[in-house]
Amino acid sequence: MTEDPGLDLTISRIIKAPRPIVWEAWTDPGQMEEWWCPKPWRAEVRAFDLRPGGAFDTLMHGPDGEENPNPGSFLEVVPMERIVFTTALTEGWRPAAPWLSMTAIVTMKDHGDGTGYSAVVKHADRETRDRHEELGFYDGWNANIEQLAAIVEKRA
Amino acid sequence: MVIRMDNYQPVLNDVFHALADPTRRAVLRQLNRGPASITELAKPFDMALPSFMKHIAVLEHSDLIRSRKKGRVRTCTLKPRKLARAERWLAEQRVLWEGRTDRLAQYAESRASKEAKP
Repeated sequence: MTEDPGLDLTISRIIKAPRPIVWEAWTDPGQMEEWWCPKPWRAEVRAFDLRPGGAFDTLMHGPDGEENPNPGSFLEVVPMERIVFTTALTEGWRPAAPWLSMTAIVTMKDHGDGTGYSAVVKHADRETRDRHEELGFYDGWNANIEQLAAIVEKRA
Repeated sequence: MVIRMDNYQPVLNDVFHALADPTRRAVLRQLNRGPASITELAKPFDMALPSFMKHIAVLEHSDLIRSRKKGRVRTCTLKPRKLARAERWLAEQRVLWEGRTDRLAQYAESRASKEAKP
């Protein structure tokens, strides 16, 4: 798996809990809503069909009634080990053009203290430019606004 | 990329919040073309003025725009410095995912300790 330091993130933690508990926290929508977004935002898991090509959609509710949907799909599911999902494809592999195109690879491994957890988040490089052109923007500040907007709309 | 998370997070939370709303994003896009009065900014929206003013207040509070009143006209201007600072979108994605992972860890660890002590 190739990582591009300008486009990809790797986040790793040792979670002091057995792997089945971490897996369940990730794969039970009710539990995911507890941790998926930062307060005062609230996550609503609208679709969670945990199989390749299955829909995954979290709606973020903001404190002022903002709503940010994040439709995507799962690409790979290995129980207790690995979940890969993307916003570049929605349910049934339908191509999408989200604000922030990304693929996340989540892995869980046994560790002496519990679970070795990591998330690798990959981003496309063309999206900023493409978004820029599509919206007809003509100077650099817009890119910043769109990138920030993308982050919020994507929420991850 | 080294980020002082403790300093960075509050700024980003404000900016995220400000940009989370389509009306506020549209206002920023409009201001990107140049300063504009509240009346001009509000025109495209089917919204009562007090509601629109709340959006302007959020943008001002997050330091993305400033407004000045001259006579009866209040004019808004984009504050580019704040946006430049927030430009590091990848850094912001990192903040988001670090936070998310911390919350997952906390949640799973609290469940694990509950199971250990029934």
